[in-house]
Amino acid sequence: MTTVLFALVAAAEETHGPASPFEVESGLFIWTWVVFIALFLLLKKFAWPAILRATEEREQAIRRQLDEAQKLHAEARAALEEQTRLLGESRTTAQALVADARAVAERERGAAVEKTREEQEALLQRARREIAAERDRAVQEIRREAVDLSLAAATKLVGRRLDAATDRELVEQFIASMEKGK
Amino acid sequence: MMLQEGGLDIGTMVLHHTADAWQIDLYPAGTIHLPRWPDIHLGPLTLNLSPTKHVVYMILAAALVFLSMWLAGRALRRQRAGERAPKGFAAAMEGLVLFVRNDIAIANIGPETGARYAPFVMTLFFFILYANLLGLVPWGASPTGNLAVTGALAVLTFLAVEIGGMLQLGAKGYFRTIFPHIPGLHGPGAAVMSIGMAPIEVLGKLVKPFALAVRLFGNMTAGHFVILSLFGIIFLFGELQFWNYGIGIATAALVLGIMLLELIVAFLQAYVFALLSAVFIGLMQHEH
Repeated sequence: MTTVLFALVAAAEETHGPASPFEVESGLFIWTWVVFIALFLLLKKFAWPAILRATEEREQAIRRQLDEAQKLHAEARAALEEQTRLLGESRTTAQALVADARAVAERERGAAVEKTREEQEALLQRARREIAAERDRAVQEIRREAVDLSLAAATKLVGRRLDAATDRELVEQFIASMEKGK
Repeated sequence: MMLQEGGLDIGTMVLHHTADAWQIDLYPAGTIHLPRWPDIHLGPLTLNLSPTKHVVYMILAAALVFLSMWLAGRALRRQRAGERAPKGFAAAMEGLVLFVRNDIAIANIGPETGARYAPFVMTLFFFILYANLLGLVPWGASPTGNLAVTGALAVLTFLAVEIGGMLQLGAKGYFRTIFPHIPGLHGPGAAVMSIGMAPIEVLGKLVKPFALAVRLFGNMTAGHFVILSLFGIIFLFGELQFWNYGIGIATAALVLGIMLLELIVAFLQAYVFALLSAVFIGLMQHEH
């Protein structure tokens, strides 16, 4: 056993090669790069896709779903904002409408009241005018009646007819002076 | 000393077995002598592209990674086509691949660009893992116990970090990672500080891959050193009367324990290399 090993060691010593693992051979760099890059390319082409396909598909599906969810979320948020904005807008519009309507109603009512008052005023004026006219006419009538009566009475007293225009004028002057004296 | 008497130098043996070689020993079936090609001179550089033991095991590791991933992918596709849940080897591989992709690559690089760098990190992890494990099988050797291999992998990570940074940050943003903007400074003071910081920033960029390379190399080589040194005990004390069987059994038990530890280390170091690569890529992607 021992002799065999001695023989082995002796054989090893005869062969050429680096004496220790601390000797660096430049050729091995090239070999390592060639082997590693070949392995990298082969694995990338033939092995990884088959092994990772299921996982990558799952990842893509999850990413797609996440994107979808995010998009939907954004859409929902936008819709909500739009809705809130519309609601606010319609509220403002409604308030404006109500205020407008109120203002219009107010104006209409004011106008109506004004018109009524004016009509009332006009009626009143006309009534007053008519009353005044009636009164004047009545006074005129009374005055004429009074002249007639006075003349009749004077006729009775004087015993002659007094209807000459001069007499009449006299009485009328008298009455006018009485009215003036009042 | 006994080792000089027996003509057996344990130290030399350990270094020899962990070093790269121009041949592959498949005792007792024999030895495969690998061809030696002449040196190539590229200006001041001298390259020898002859395949070595580590090159052969590296290609073997890559082939095994590809084979297992390809078979797993095929099985998964067939199982899914049959509307069945993944099971067995394919399900285990899928779990492991998804762990590396999601929890190492994407978790540390970021959800935006993580998926783009995931294939690189996954290839790194499985290539390093298989290379580490090859050192634990009989007649095997760890290509990752070679500074040139780990160095070349670290250079790839360095390129991924820096080129990824340039693509993500743009020329101006990447320029800022070397000549940093010092907060609170303006005018000539800021320029002086930026230029002063540049060597430190560049050193920081180079130290990361250097640490990656040395860490992986050190861990794998140290494990082999321990295992081979423990085997050395057998040859040191195997001649002792009455104790030889006891020593053999005790050493074998110790080696078994270390082997189990190495199994963890193989996974751990692949994880650490992939994780740190992802972290470095992620740091650069989010540099502002």
